[in-house]
Amino acid sequence: MSITKTLSGAKRQRLSLIFLVVGSLLILFTLFVLFNMVFRQLVLDLNGFLEAVNDPLVISSILLTLYASFLATLIAVVLGTPLAYVLARHDFFGKNVVESVIDVPVIIPHSVAGIALYALLQSRSAVGTAFYNLGIVFEDSLWGIVVAMLFVSAPFYVNAAREGFQSINPRIERVARTLGASQWQAFYKVTLHLAIRHLFSGAVMAWARGISEFGAVIMIAFYPMIAPVLIYYRFTTQGLKGSQPIAVLLILVCFVVFMVLRLSTKYWEKRK
Amino acid sequence: MITLDNVSHEWGEFSLKNVSFSVDKGEYFVILGPTGAGKTLILETIAGFHIPSEGRIFLDGRDATDLPPEKRKIGLVYQDYSLFPHMTVEENIAFGLKMRKIPKKEVETKVQSIMDSVGITHLKTRFPSTLSGGEQQRVALARALVIDPDILLLDEPLSALDPRTRESLREELKRIHKVRGMTTIHVTHDQIEALALADQIAVILKGEVIQVDTSSKVFNEPVNERIAIFVGMENVIKGKIVSNEDGVALVETGKYQIHALSKLIEGEVNVFIRPENIILSEARLKSSARNSIRGKITDITQLGAIFRIRMDSGLTALVTKQAIEDLGLAIGKAVYASFKATAIHMTRR
Amino acid sequence: MRKISAKGLTKIQSVIISAVIAVALVGGFWYYWSANTGKVVLKVFCAGSLTLPLEEIKIKFETDHVNVEVRIEPSGSIAAVQKITESDKLADVLASADFTLIPSMMMPDYADWCIRFAKNRMVLAYTDNSRYADEINSTNWYEILQRTDVKWAFSNPNMDPCGYRTPMVIQLAELEYGDNMIFDNLVVNNSAITVTEEDGVYQITTPEELNPDTTRLKIRGKSVELVSMLQEGGIDYAWEYMSVAKQHDLNYLELPETIDLSTVTYTETYKKVEVQTTSENIVGKPIVYGVTVPTNALNRELGEQFVIYMINEYGQNVFLDMGQPPIVPAKTENMDNIPESLRTYVTE
Repeated sequence: MSITKTLSGAKRQRLSLIFLVVGSLLILFTLFVLFNMVFRQLVLDLNGFLEAVNDPLVISSILLTLYASFLATLIAVVLGTPLAYVLARHDFFGKNVVESVIDVPVIIPHSVAGIALYALLQSRSAVGTAFYNLGIVFEDSLWGIVVAMLFVSAPFYVNAAREGFQSINPRIERVARTLGASQWQAFYKVTLHLAIRHLFSGAVMAWARGISEFGAVIMIAFYPMIAPVLIYYRFTTQGLKGSQPIAVLLILVCFVVFMVLRLSTKYWEKRK
Repeated sequence: MITLDNVSHEWGEFSLKNVSFSVDKGEYFVILGPTGAGKTLILETIAGFHIPSEGRIFLDGRDATDLPPEKRKIGLVYQDYSLFPHMTVEENIAFGLKMRKIPKKEVETKVQSIMDSVGITHLKTRFPSTLSGGEQQRVALARALVIDPDILLLDEPLSALDPRTRESLREELKRIHKVRGMTTIHVTHDQIEALALADQIAVILKGEVIQVDTSSKVFNEPVNERIAIFVGMENVIKGKIVSNEDGVALVETGKYQIHALSKLIEGEVNVFIRPENIILSEARLKSSARNSIRGKITDITQLGAIFRIRMDSGLTALVTKQAIEDLGLAIGKAVYASFKATAIHMTRR
Repeated sequence: MRKISAKGLTKIQSVIISAVIAVALVGGFWYYWSANTGKVVLKVFCAGSLTLPLEEIKIKFETDHVNVEVRIEPSGSIAAVQKITESDKLADVLASADFTLIPSMMMPDYADWCIRFAKNRMVLAYTDNSRYADEINSTNWYEILQRTDVKWAFSNPNMDPCGYRTPMVIQLAELEYGDNMIFDNLVVNNSAITVTEEDGVYQITTPEELNPDTTRLKIRGKSVELVSMLQEGGIDYAWEYMSVAKQHDLNYLELPETIDLSTVTYTETYKKVEVQTTSENIVGKPIVYGVTVPTNALNRELGEQFVIYMINEYGQNVFLDMGQPPIVPAKTENMDNIPESLRTYVTE
């Protein structure tokens, strides 16, 4: 009885089913690539994996990567949210240029981005000297890593935030104003609330993008080694055997973190 | 209470040109104009979202042109209601009070009271996306009224509703206005709405205010042909005054002559007759109707509960179904169209 | 209605904002606590093939100098030099897989001296799973590489010395085996690399677009990538340094010394091949590692100390174990510029 019901229900959803099948090819592709690597590591060389887990350099490298990207994302959110709002709400002379500039870091080859950042910020350049006098050094430091990550990941946040704000009808903000809300209050209590899902997913994407950055970071800060650099370094000295465990560990850690974030947003939504 | 003095502004596709009118305290003022005439922009300008490039806006005697929206005591209801989707009905209504830092207890009382008076208490924990159009409309109204604004701005509040709901909400608006005596500006393209609610009407065409008058004057004495057509004066006849005896002018239209009550004594004129003021008969009427013009029916169209009859005399009349049956009206039949000399509005051409 | 606290923040919002601030601060403290060790940083730019031996030397050096942290940055040799000469980066020690890069690219602006401390040789690396692994030897290797089901690789001549040395070996093989088709069959037919001969000198040209026929020949940026490909089975044979093959437990075929760029005795023979890469022309010579302390190093004396660890008896043993035979004693072209501290370890 239930089988025939399912089948007839399925018939009606024919388009969705076809789309599901086609789309699942993409998921399976990603899944297999990752699964193959994780499986080989955990099953064929569990020792190598456990060594990596217990290696303090590996742990601190992964933590550093997550933390640096976290800081970069924080900066992107604080600076990018106002920018996204302005872009969503207003037209002005040169707006096209601004929007193109925001997207440029996505196209630039990463090593070029890294060199450009280094040239601007290294402590003996004009800008770098100013920072040096404030006690901030970029090359081979956390700041350098954060800056490189920020450069490549900010566009993801700004674009997501802008779309989020654009999806909100400005009339709602106006009504809030007539009810006595100042511009800031209308933004904070109404617009931000409604856009928060877009902002959050944009931030997660920026964070993820920062974690995986290699080419730009390595140009300005080889040390302290973030995970992608450590993996490269171990690859140089020990080949795949030495680097794969770290890669697998990084994948598993990130996977867990993303799952936790997703579940907590679902929980948050439900409590509404 | 509200005065617009020569307000002009450019928005790209729409512009306001030298708009001036005044709204008295407690008046129900309707801005009437075709759809898309940028009427929303007028309201937004009064609310303070656009600063006009020319002209001033006075609210309650003071120049408010540069005053930010949150400082004007204005309630605004948009055509799409613009309820806050992430808040319940209760929270939507309470929003304005919270902005004014009113203590919690008082907020609860006021919100409860307005919900009761508008009839939406049963919806208080619902979210806007689950409400019908009419329900959302009431919530939007309650939200605007609860803060006790000096002025209420309504942007086509009834346009998106089905006829039944429209009627009941129209009565609601009338009742609320009677009870609170609030100065209201109501923007619409619907003449029936305007007639039913307005103390005064401003007709706006293409960004210009053409006529500001009471409802009956706008409908029966439109100032020009454009307005006449807009307010449903289906009969606009060109003619020339031949003579005027004792205040009754004789107008020659070429096809027939019309007797019209008018102060005009000579010149080219436009003759306006409302279609519902025309009586149809099979024989010439011997009644107080001074004009009786023969013509053959060329078109019969049903408009809701009434029918529109077009004749080859150039006249259009509105009749009931009963009248059609009683008179046996059909295309091609010759009938007499009669109307009083007082039912005519005339302007110089 | 939901509970709203005094400032208009919901409970959830306060929790989240506090969490974010907490993470930012805790992370900051952790970072500064682990990063500010107060140690002096000694930076070493080196060729990829030197990373393992230098890592061992680093451990001993740090044990003996407790307030020093040695940071090794491996890359291609040319890239390492360019970091200093073009990107304005600072290093305290520069170790190259081709000692000639130091005089040709760094002197006189960035270096005064150069010490040759170890050697290497070109070998053909493979695994037990490579095709014809049980058949290959030092006389039939070039024929096996031509077989249609064999995949082989070398690194990019424009980026890696191991890359430009490979065509040199293959061209020298023609002279050794008396077969003047070897280079054409293996290299010219499978890529955009060309060779011309004039007065007994073979000029090989490696353009920017190498266009290898990837069904037979693969070219990668760094020679160490070839190791993975071998281990994965993606290729059968790779041209590597003997040190790399040894360090990664690969099988390797030793070639005649007349062609494998290993022996100073055959310097004149090696001179018969030259490679014009996209940046410069390199004459064939024995593979010799060179080291210097750049003139703009932040810690010159410390750098020189590190060099000592590379060329003293301890260092010599390290390199020997790694398959990079040390030059005993270390040599230099010109003793005049050698720093005081190093003089006893070096001869001309």
